Amino acid sequence: MRALLATVGDRTTRFSAEVGRMTLFLLRALRCLLTALPNRETLVEQMAAIGAGSVVVVSCVAVFIGMNITLQGYYIFKQFGGQNMVGILVALAVVREMSPMTAAAMVSAKAGTDMAAKLGTMRVKQQIDAIEVMGVNPFWLLIVPRIVASLLMVPLLVTLSNFFGLISGYLVAVYQLNVNPGLYVENVLQYVRWSDLLKGMIKGGVLGFILSVVSCYYGYYASEGAKGVGRATNRAVVVSCVIGVVVNYLMTEIMYG
Amino acid sequence: MILIKDLCKAFGDHVVLDHINCRVAHGKTTVFVGPSGVGKSVLIKHMVGLLYPDEGEVIVEGKDLTKLSERELYELRKKFGMLFQDAALFDSMTVEENVAFPLRHHTKKSESEIGDIVAEKLRQVGMPGTKEMMPSELSGGMRKRVGLARALALDPEIVFFDEPTSGLDPVIAATVDKLISETQAELGKTFVVISHDIPGTFAIAHNIGVLFDAKLIEYGPKEEIRESPNPILRQFFARKAEGPIKLV
Repeated sequence: MRALLATVGDRTTRFSAEVGRMTLFLLRALRCLLTALPNRETLVEQMAAIGAGSVVVVSCVAVFIGMNITLQGYYIFKQFGGQNMVGILVALAVVREMSPMTAAAMVSAKAGTDMAAKLGTMRVKQQIDAIEVMGVNPFWLLIVPRIVASLLMVPLLVTLSNFFGLISGYLVAVYQLNVNPGLYVENVLQYVRWSDLLKGMIKGGVLGFILSVVSCYYGYYASEGAKGVGRATNRAVVVSCVIGVVVNYLMTEIMYG
Repeated sequence: MILIKDLCKAFGDHVVLDHINCRVAHGKTTVFVGPSGVGKSVLIKHMVGLLYPDEGEVIVEGKDLTKLSERELYELRKKFGMLFQDAALFDSMTVEENVAFPLRHHTKKSESEIGDIVAEKLRQVGMPGTKEMMPSELSGGMRKRVGLARALALDPEIVFFDEPTSGLDPVIAATVDKLISETQAELGKTFVVISHDIPGTFAIAHNIGVLFDAKLIEYGPKEEIRESPNPILRQFFARKAEGPIKLV
């Protein structure tokens, strides 16, 4: 029993320390963001890496998400003769929930791991220390440009994901399941509002911010060589996804509740 | 000049530096030596503001690093150059880009002026004609030389060296020592070195500090340190397994 309590106490202490350190990291990044424009070179490089680097995977996932929701929705609505209403489900599910979540998850898996691994490698090879000693703020040079790039690019990827999700849903509904094409389009246009698209992009921006802060945090504080870099990369994805789904739920409650 | 007053640092329960006091002389080479894990790297990280003491002061160029704002610290660091243990060159940049890094960030010089300075610094460290090479193409000794060229790029007042000869074979280590010695003599700047390489230490140092058991047990001109009767120093300099220094 004493051992169990000791373990719980130890883990609670470490968790609190981690939360505190991450908060300080975030505050330092925000202070840097508010006092100086981020390094332009790194910003452009990161926007290309996040945007162009994730376009294919986000599009592919969006296509299959749209197809899947269409199939599921069709068979559910068919039970009470409402299969022509499948477009409503596809549109709202894709625009409000699936696109922001999947775009952020894919960026986390691709660009987020890259951020954690690259910063982690720079940390264990003392390159971040070298930047500091040369009088250059590593937050300005490395961290803030990554956060800003995520903040800008993830909403654009959400929009792209909306496009592919809705198109693929339409193709499956109309050409595979024989749903009336006019009704499908009418339902989408009737139920999806501009505010839904905007809210989806806001969600994408917030999730992009979270994943970049978490990924940069774990990379920045990596230690113990290659093993530490691997651990940092792993934690970056797991923690940003866990925080992401919780925050996404809260945003849904605030936006649509 | 660097002044260290009552510097204490612990990581958890492990005391690494315990009331360290010393004055690093201006325009000289000061080497801090001691067994592995004694806190040499921790000491040098305090001198450049990468670590903050639990107690005490680190005064560099008349400014207490522990009291500087982030902006003031970055400003002060423009007067520093540092050669890291593995040189810490940026893998994705060429040799030229590495050496030009501080110049591009802290000066308004044109690209041609930067190119001239880079060529001059590379010549100074015996690495002309390597500017297009990537760090992965360089040997350990070459990386250290390029790291030194980068450290000297802004003509710093103080140059720090973290184990400059570790991992090098004796011949290359001697070459790096000679380079440090000659560069210091030529520039007349303050060099601070941490090392556990005994022959190298005596080759380059004007002053030597010996760290042991979290304390600075001896500090002074190298001739005095060389003749010190302290059994810890005698064991360390004679590279003997038996003596007061025990393996943990």
